[in-house]
Amino acid sequence: MKAVSRWRALARIFLSTAFCVAWFAGAANAQKQGGSITVGLELDIPGFDPLKVGVYDTSAETAAAAIFDTLTYLDDKGEAQPKLALSWTHSDDFKTWTFKLRPGVKFHDGTPFNAEAVKANFDRQKDPANKCRCAFYIAFIHDLQAPDELTVVYNLNDPSVNLPAIVTLQNSNYVMQSPTAWKTRGDDYSRNPVGTGPYILKSWAAGDRMVLERNPDYWNKGHPYLDRIVLKPLPDAQSRFASLQSGEADIVWDDEYDADNIQKAQKDPKMTVHIYAGAGAQVYAFNTKAAPFDDVRVRQALVMAIDRKKMSQAITNGLSRTASNPYGDGSWVKCKDDGALPNDLEKAKALIKDYGKPVEFKMIVTATPRGRNVGQVLQQFWKQVGANMEIEQIDQATVVPRAFMRQFQLTPWRIIDFADPDPQMYANFHTGSPVALANYSNPELDRLLEHARTTADTAKRIDDYCAVSRLINQEAIWFWTFQNTYYAISSAKLKGLPKIYGGVIDVSNVWME
Amino acid sequence: MLGFVARRLLYLVPVLVAVSLLTFLIASLLPGDLAYVILGDQATPEKVEALRHDLGLDQPVWWRYVSWLGHVLQGDFGRSFRTGQTVLQAVAERLPVSIELMILAEIIGLAIGVPLAIACAVRNGSAFDRFMTGTAFGMLSVPTFLSAILLIYLFAVELRWLPATGYMPFEEDPIGNLRFFVMPALTLALAEWPGIMRVLRSDMIATLQEDYIALAKAKGLKASRILFVHALKPSSLTLVTVTGINIGRLIGGTVIVETIFALPGIGRLLVGAIYTRDLIILQGVVLLVAAGFVVMNFIVDMLYAVLDPRIRHGLA
Repeated sequence: MKAVSRWRALARIFLSTAFCVAWFAGAANAQKQGGSITVGLELDIPGFDPLKVGVYDTSAETAAAAIFDTLTYLDDKGEAQPKLALSWTHSDDFKTWTFKLRPGVKFHDGTPFNAEAVKANFDRQKDPANKCRCAFYIAFIHDLQAPDELTVVYNLNDPSVNLPAIVTLQNSNYVMQSPTAWKTRGDDYSRNPVGTGPYILKSWAAGDRMVLERNPDYWNKGHPYLDRIVLKPLPDAQSRFASLQSGEADIVWDDEYDADNIQKAQKDPKMTVHIYAGAGAQVYAFNTKAAPFDDVRVRQALVMAIDRKKMSQAITNGLSRTASNPYGDGSWVKCKDDGALPNDLEKAKALIKDYGKPVEFKMIVTATPRGRNVGQVLQQFWKQVGANMEIEQIDQATVVPRAFMRQFQLTPWRIIDFADPDPQMYANFHTGSPVALANYSNPELDRLLEHARTTADTAKRIDDYCAVSRLINQEAIWFWTFQNTYYAISSAKLKGLPKIYGGVIDVSNVWME
Repeated sequence: MLGFVARRLLYLVPVLVAVSLLTFLIASLLPGDLAYVILGDQATPEKVEALRHDLGLDQPVWWRYVSWLGHVLQGDFGRSFRTGQTVLQAVAERLPVSIELMILAEIIGLAIGVPLAIACAVRNGSAFDRFMTGTAFGMLSVPTFLSAILLIYLFAVELRWLPATGYMPFEEDPIGNLRFFVMPALTLALAEWPGIMRVLRSDMIATLQEDYIALAKAKGLKASRILFVHALKPSSLTLVTVTGINIGRLIGGTVIVETIFALPGIGRLLVGAIYTRDLIILQGVVLLVAAGFVVMNFIVDMLYAVLDPRIRHGLA
């Protein structure tokens, strides 16, 4: 009798769970099938063959997110979820990761998706003979093995505790392309990409429309919702917004330098402004080996002189979100104390006075309206505390080599939105790394960075990264002005857009009401 | 006539050589070594050196120019490092759009400018003439990026008559194709017609004072016949020149207009090449455009000869 009632209780739990599931499924049915949308992107998409185009920009990634799949995807909490991979395990030292693949998936051209295909994608990029510009970003992966049809083993050079989140990127390194297609198509492959994704490339006119149609055999049954997606490069910000207003585009890419239109759209009930407060920040590095920045007092004084709120007002109408650490609101690293220096003019003046010598230096800015703007605002802040900064405008393409060769006193840089802080923090601050731009070496900093990359416990990693932030802020070797914020503006009818991770508008699973 | 054509053709050679040299030098003088651009944030000194060698950037400039020119003469303008497309492929895809845009803009410009010029010349000094001359001067000072945005707000956002941006191939839908071209062509034409009108108006006024016009009037010919047959042809010499030179200005205008209206033409290709430092595309396209401009002016010279027999016979 007892046993029976226990069964009944279990059955009741089971039934109510089933009911919940059914209820959620019912809610999911509100998602409307059919229809089409037009997406207004910023740039012309150059192509999709990694060997030809190297790395994708965000416009190409929007298309890639619809045509291709990745092994995993990043959910709205920032955690990796199964996509082409169903599950994964790692070795104790986080240097070997094993992914189990989803069976029965086929590329648009009928080629089966399996471990060999994953390995072929990787090997092609890694092969030195192919000279792929994409190879740099997978340098931390030593090799890939395919022990059986549905198992892929990643052997890493450096430990990575968060590899499943890293392979979510819809870029040239991690989207799965059909090996048959690139072999048979040759030079034409770049403009005729073949993936396993929810949409198939129908037509593509250079510099104009790319038309994607629903993949009827998509492995994720019931998805995608739209029949058709049209991607258009609309390079001019004003006319891009006008296209949205007139209904020719349903969703457009935007950034905070287009603050007027973003604020206009926020007041418009027919539009939705999608904002993703990302990880990372706009950052600047002092060369601590070059005077006057070899003195910590000067560096601290300059950082203390910056009023980020005022700066945001001046540059983007107040849209830019101020940053006090390199992680940002989009990161899972949240610090109670990140060690940020206060905005304190008196203290800054005192530090400069204490330093005793005149503070004169050059700052590199990119020769763009944005670069000049930022330079002029900082120049004013620093003048107030008695430091003379000369703006040196250089071409965007020249900033990188100058930074690499350490031919600067103060240079702009960027920490991009990323699922895990390790790759960038280690590269930017560990002694000896080519992008450790500050020329600064500190055993404690190295120890923290090494510990953080080999520890699985998130709470401990947060402690490490907060300590890193405190150390950098106090030593003022780099400073951060604004967090990365990504924008898209859409018709209010467009639903289901995920977070704009890394500035990529992923429309592969949206629907129109 | 044949001798005249041959002489003019011979002039083209040094001009085209100079153009090719200039485009090559300008492209190689741009800041930012191509090797660094291609390698981006993985530009280690060894990789840069290896790539510079691969690209031939370690050769002296004159040698690079000669070998580039050699390839160009064989019809090989090089390949984009970004898309892997050849320059000729890229240009062939984009050129029809720009040509259609320029022809439509020129037609609209002439359609506005020529009748107004004649009307003003006939009523030389009247209130209408002064008003139109003033308006033309005003329109000349409106930059295309401003008129483009104003047109978009009026016709696309407010009235919703025309699409704000985009393109439709002619063979898919001729009417749709024209709808996409109305505003861009009008934008360019708004900057073109004042020049056309001013030039033709002053030439026409001069012609109308010639003795043979007085004779025609005395013979009792119809005023419209005098204007369109006797006066227009001799007055249009400068107009032809201006129209020819306008092609050059229009190419410049397409850069802005194609960007704003998102037309996939040569202008956009050029802007994209500059943004992404695609120097191969950049110097190839600039050379082709410049060559096109030179050839266009050659055609204009030929038209002179058709219009004025004195030029044809080497008397002018």
